[in-house]
Formats: sequence, C-alpha cells, structure tokens
Amino acid sequence: MSGKRYSEAGSSQPAKRQRTDGDDEFHLANEDDVIPPSPPDTSYVPRGATINLGALTRKLAETKTSKTSRQPVSSSDGHRQQQDKLISYIFMNQDFSWLHLKADHTSRPLWISPEDGHIILEAFSPIAEQAQDFLTAIAEPVSRPAMIHEYKLTSYSLYAAVSVGLQTNDIIEVLNRLSKVPVPDSIVEFIRNCTLSYGKVKLVLKHNRYFVESSHPETLQVLLRDNVIREARLISAPTDQSIKATTFTTSKAPTRGDLVIPGTKESEKKKADSTDPAAPQNGKTSDADLFTSVVGVESDEIDEDDDNVHAFEIKDDRIDDVKKRCNEIEYPMLEEYDFRNDTINANLDIDLKPATVIRPYQETSLSKMFGNGRARSGIIVLPCGAGKTLVGITAACTIKKSCLVLCTSSVSVMQWKQQFMQWSNITDRQIAVFTADQKEKFAGESGIVVSTYSMVANTHNRSHESKKMMEFLTSREWGFILLDEVHVVPAAMFRRVVTTIKAHSKLGLTATLVREDDKIADLNYMIGPKLYEANWMDLAAKGHIANVQCAEVWCPMTPEFYHQYLVEQSRKRMLLYCMNPNKFQSCQFLIKYHEDRGDKIIVFSDNVFALEAYARRLGKLFIHGGVGQVERMLILSKFQHDPRVNTIFLSKVGDTSIDLPEATCLIQISSHFGSRRQEAQRLGRILRAKRRNDEGFNAFFYSLVSKDTQEMYYSTKRQQFLIDQGYAFKVITHLDGLENLDDLVYRTQDEQIELLQSVLIANDNDADLGSDVRAVEGDLAGTVTSKDFGPTKFPAAQRTTGSLSALSGGQHMSYVEQNKSANKAISRAGPAPRHKLFAKRDKDKASARKEATKG
Amino acid sequence: MRAIKGILLTCDAAVKQILLIMNEKESFIIEDLDDHHVVIKAEHEWRVRQDLESELEKNTYSVD
Repeated sequence: MSGKRYSEAGSSQPAKRQRTDGDDEFHLANEDDVIPPSPPDTSYVPRGATINLGALTRKLAETKTSKTSRQPVSSSDGHRQQQDKLISYIFMNQDFSWLHLKADHTSRPLWISPEDGHIILEAFSPIAEQAQDFLTAIAEPVSRPAMIHEYKLTSYSLYAAVSVGLQTNDIIEVLNRLSKVPVPDSIVEFIRNCTLSYGKVKLVLKHNRYFVESSHPETLQVLLRDNVIREARLISAPTDQSIKATTFTTSKAPTRGDLVIPGTKESEKKKADSTDPAAPQNGKTSDADLFTSVVGVESDEIDEDDDNVHAFEIKDDRIDDVKKRCNEIEYPMLEEYDFRNDTINANLDIDLKPATVIRPYQETSLSKMFGNGRARSGIIVLPCGAGKTLVGITAACTIKKSCLVLCTSSVSVMQWKQQFMQWSNITDRQIAVFTADQKEKFAGESGIVVSTYSMVANTHNRSHESKKMMEFLTSREWGFILLDEVHVVPAAMFRRVVTTIKAHSKLGLTATLVREDDKIADLNYMIGPKLYEANWMDLAAKGHIANVQCAEVWCPMTPEFYHQYLVEQSRKRMLLYCMNPNKFQSCQFLIKYHEDRGDKIIVFSDNVFALEAYARRLGKLFIHGGVGQVERMLILSKFQHDPRVNTIFLSKVGDTSIDLPEATCLIQISSHFGSRRQEAQRLGRILRAKRRNDEGFNAFFYSLVSKDTQEMYYSTKRQQFLIDQGYAFKVITHLDGLENLDDLVYRTQDEQIELLQSVLIANDNDADLGSDVRAVEGDLAGTVTSKDFGPTKFPAAQRTTGSLSALSGGQHMSYVEQNKSANKAISRAGPAPRHKLFAKRDKDKASARKEATKG
Repeated sequence: MRAIKGILLTCDAAVKQILLIMNEKESFIIEDLDDHHVVIKAEHEWRVRQDLESELEKNTYSVD
C-alpha cells in the first residue's frame, strides 16, 4: 500500500497537493510510516518523490494540525498508526519515522538526518570500522560513546574531504551504500554544493601582501559584487596595461610542478612513510600521488581553461571579514601553501632526529594536513598526553620554512623550545624566544620564534625592545604558524594575531575543542577546519594512552551542613559542599583503598582552604600556590620515589604544569564550576601513566560530589566532553566498607559540627577558587600553566595575654601542635644525608682530585 | 479542640532540610518527627511537592 502511495505522490505534484489539503495529508504520512516488513525496492520508486513528500509532511507535522484520518485503514496498519501517534509527539519536529528503511537495513550501519546532516552510526556493526574511517574523512565527529556514534556533515568537513581527493559522486555513493535510508535529497544537494564551489578561490600571500586569486574572472566578479569584499579590496596603482588589468592583476598560473603523478592505489595509503624522518618529503609525495590521481584531473582542466590566474589585493586588516564572508556566500577560500615551490622565503634546515618515531595516529593527522603535497591550514585535536607537541614539530620539519610558535604562557614557551631541541636537529641559534623577559632574534635568514599570544597581540604601549621585536615579526613572511591550546584564545586577541602576522599556513593544536562560550565556530575561518580528531577510546585500546575508569561518587550532605548550605549565600555554599564530612570520609576511604592496591594518588581541589583542611586532617602532603619552590620540588620527588608517600593533594597549579607519570588514580574534591576543559585536562594527568601498558591496567578517576547541591549540576556538565569522547561515568552512591574504616574522620556528630563551625568562621575569600595562582605578564587570563605562584605568605604574628610565670614555663604549660601539616615533617627532615661511609669516600675523592690538580 | 488534617511525609535528610527552610517562609509543618519523617498540613501537600520539585531540579543538568 505504501508503495502505491509513493508513486502516486511522486507522479502528481506533491507540493501543490499538500498545500491544498494539508490537514489530511498529515495522516497520510503516518500511513506511509506503516511500512510492511518488506518495503518496496527503492530502485524503482523515484527517490526524489519520496523525500519530497516526506519533507512536506514533516513540515506539516510541525504545525501539529491533527484531525481524524480520511481513509479507512486495515486493522493492523491502524494499530501501527496508533503506536506512531503515541510516540511521535515526543520527538516533535525531530520525528523522522517517515524515512523509509531499505530492505536490508539491518546490515547497513548508519542513518542520515535530512535536516541538519547529522549521521548516526551503529558502532557495533561489523563494518563500523570501515564506516568510521570514511565518516572521519567526510564529517566531523560529534560524540563517540561505546555503541552509537554521532557525526555531522559540515561544509568544512566536505571541503577537507574533497581536498584529499574524494569525489562528489563517490561520497554520495558510499554514503548511500552505508545508510539504512536512502541519502536524503537535501543532503545530496548540500554535498554537491559544497564540493563544487570548493577550490575556486584562493587566498594567496605574495611578497607580504594578500591576494584573492582565481582562474575564473567571473568568480572574482561575483565576489566583488559583494559589499564586504569590495570594501576590503585594496586598489593598487594603475600601472597595468592589459585589458583585464583594469579589474584584476593577471599573472601566469603557478605550475603545479611534479605534484601530479597519477599513482596506483596502495592499500596502505596511511602507512606512507612519514615515519621516516630523513625523508618526510618522499612520504608526502607518495601520499600526494594517490590523492592527486583523483584530484589532479580536475586541476588540469582548470589549467587548460585559462593559463592565467586573476587576482585582486585585499587589505591586511580585513582578511578575516573577507574569509568569513566568502564562506557565507559559499565560495570558501582555499588556503594552501605550496611550500616546496616557494623560492622567495628561505628554507630552514630542520629535520626530526633520526631516533624520533612518530605514532600512527600522529602520522594520520599529519597526512590530513599535507594531504595533497601542500600545507593546509587547520586544527588537529589530540588528547592530552598523546603527543601534540611532536605533531607540531613534525609539521614544522616538513614545511622547513620560518616558523612562529604561539602558546598560552611563558612556561609553555620554554617547554616548546626544549621540545624542539629534543626532537629535532635545530640549533640553539636558530630558535628564539620572545617573552616578557627574553627578546631574542634568530640568526640567519630563517628560524623559529616561540612566543605567547598576549605578547604578540598586545596593543598597549610596549617597551622599546618589544616594539623592535614586533617589527621584526610583522615585517617578515612566515611559512608556518603553530598555535598551541588554540581553544583558549579569546577571539579578539586571535584576530589581532592572525592579521598582524603574515603566515602562509596555520596549524592549531588542542586537546579539547570546547569552550563554554560559542566562539568555537570563529576558529573555523580564522585558522581553518578541524583536520583531524583522534578517537580517545581507540588510542586507549592501542595503549597510547591509559585506560581510565571514571566514577562519580555521590556523598550525601549531613543535615547540619545542608541546612547551612540552604541558608548561606553562593560563595560560602561552595565551601560547604567541599567540606561536607561525608565527602571527607569518602576521600579518606578511597585514598586508603587505592594506597592498599599500590596506586599513586593525586587529589585535586581548586579550593585552597578545603585542600589544606583535607591534607592536614588526612596527614598527606600538599602543594598549592603558597608552597615554596624548594618544598614543592621536595614533595614532588618524594611522591615519585618514596614508596611511603603515595598521595599528594594538588590545587589548580597541578592541572597542567606538573607532570607526574607515576600517578594512577585521581580524586577530585573541588573543581572549577562546569568547566569541561578542566575535567579533560585533569584526566590528562593520568592518561600518560607509566604503567599504562601493563596487562589489565586501569587508571581511576573519581569525582566526589555532594548530593542535592549545585555541584551535581556542574559535575554532569563537566563530564559532557569526556562522555562525547566515549568515557562512561559510573555513579557510586555508597562506598562499601566505609563504615568499617578504623580511623574514619568526623564520625561523630560533634566532630562534624566542629568542622561546620570552622567553615563558618572561614573568611569569605577562602571560598574562592584558584586563589593561589598568580598570572605572569604574557600569560593568558584563565590559563593555569604558570609555575610562578603568588608570593609566599608569612604567618602574621599573634598576640596573647598571659602571666609572666606562665609564659616562662612556670606553670608546667607545654605546647602541642594539633593537626600538623605533613609538609612540615618532610621539609624539616630534608633530603636524607648520605651514609657516613659514602660521605667519607666523597671527601677522600675530592681531596685526591685537589691534590692531582695541584701536582 | 479542632482537628487538623495532616499527611506523613517520608523523605531523606537533605529534603527535610529543604522543607524546614520552606517552612520558615510559610508554615506548613505540624510535627517534626525525626530526620526522615515530618507531618505536614494536608492542604499544603500539592504546593510543597511542586516547590520541592523545582528546588531539586535546579541541581540537574540537561544537555540542551
């Protein structure tokens, strides 16, 4: 019956019919949903017809005009219809039950939403892996939990797909083969539009000036008709003679060189030998070969059409607007850098050290960037601890031009420099640092500069030196600009960086492409599309990062604490739910449990007051901003080497800058509201666990949450990013054996009330988060990568009254310190002195050496 | 002696605290029995449930 319905609807003009008697047609749609077990073969039903009908019925469904059906239906069909009615209202305009499943839909792994290009993949399907490979090439991953994955088709992802050589028809055909429903017309059209307009317009940087280039003058005309672009155009002096030059400057099209070598398809295309650091170029060409076997044809045609390219210059400061506008009018600008044919900029002699080996996923991400033998701008997303830095360095080694690295703080500047020295053969002279304290230039024609975003974007008055340095940076053309932690940079600052620095290609690196505001989309046109996003679960399965078990532990608030919580104002509230005695107990229990298992534990607390209270009470070492440098190093080395010290408490300072590969268990007691990034960063602390390759090894990640408080809300929000990466959070409502712990803290109500008192008298400022971290000039606000903490506080002097005899000890008063900080014990002990035997031997040696030098 | 129609509410400790706070604004608790039980006026039951629901909903995160 439904088959008949299609052809009928398809042959007449569905649009008109629908509009005339829409009310009834709505129910017709429902009848169509009642698909008999064997749906009609889609091949003889005109596909367009079914979809058109569907799209219209859906629109009508949205208006929710429901009346009784006009046509009598058979009893079983009627039953199905009833069922559909019962549930379809839940989905509102998300109701896609009108899509028709193919006969063999069970063996096909995915659905495509006709509305927004979302693709839902059954990750348990036997062919899911191939489907995933394909989908990551043409779409962006949205969410990848264990069973069902979600991807999204965007124009950017499609451009990326085309630029690596996939062809429009292939994309559609493969999609259709994998899909349970015929690919909707709207999606087909979307794919065609995106892939056709791709590559017509290029943004080219020549001699430090930006040109919009195209081999089709008509296209440029179209662009110039647009207001935004016309205004951005820079009219150069009319010295041109040719006829066309009245509008555009014309020049010979750049030769494509040896790039187009049609190659045979190799099965292991991803294995292209970029692991061989001595010859990354070769690897790239062989990659290029197979891609260009598809792409090359198209490019050749363009060349035949017109040997000349036409260009107009645009103002530097309007680049962004133009780029954004071009995307809007669907002429996305191609930003590719043909670095091998760039003879103007000096080459940089840089290569990976022969011993450096990059991992397969790092290779894959780079092959996306250099897919067609040129450098494409974009963003690479890899989890914390998966070697983002090495990806950046390898990219720089492939381009071999002057390179600018921007990071968020002066500490990471030094880390980047050190990493460059470690992995590549670059010399100290060729790499320079530009921070508030150091302003260096590299020697020679090309080199690498490492700096921070704020140093480069700063528009306020600068010192003479910085000004000179900035002139140096802006006056030259950069082959490559590397942007670290690209998601944290404010859009305005970014724009300044991108417009003041002239770079041929840009690469953004990040672990968490999420922001709490909606500025993520801006990155797309400022840097480029997301080139690659690693699948965390995949990396964990292959042992590149540790397997992590995540759990959320619910700790009920005690009645007294909860009462105060309800009464208090928001700032104190936070302190109350951190200091919840039940949380205290859970924390103690978990520490005990994991120490007995032999784990090394880090406990994180953003709140310094809570941090210190916990650490003191539980007798553990702690590090926060107020802890001095020497003490801190001592604590860290104790944690790393002393088998008796298995737990440390860290404040926000430990989020990023402290690297502790020994840690295998994380406990969070207080965190920065709903920051998804912080959650991912903290998880990153245990992803690089040393023991990750042990058989059956699991790292543990606990969040302690006080029930019935705001913390529940924040906690769920924080987890969203990790859930999208495929992590599952178990909820633990009760810790078994907690009551039986011998020395359980705050067991009695009296103790709990005492704790409550101490919280209530605490200063309001104690409730602040991350109050111990001070930013250095040049650091981005809100990033905690600095190792330079606030000034060490000296305890203020205290006055007490007492009789002279009492104070001089006459009344047998003794002084006992309760609840001592464990930190003090170790700092007094200091590093263990050497054994007498060795000390003597050392002394003898030293004197012998002295003798020798004398003689 | 006038009789008041009451309802026995069984709740967990945290919810009881919320009820106590709500009670301060508008009195409806007849007898505070222990940590898990209170007797409230019957005519207030529906409103109390509503308020409680919205109060607890504040701590729940939804994806949209």
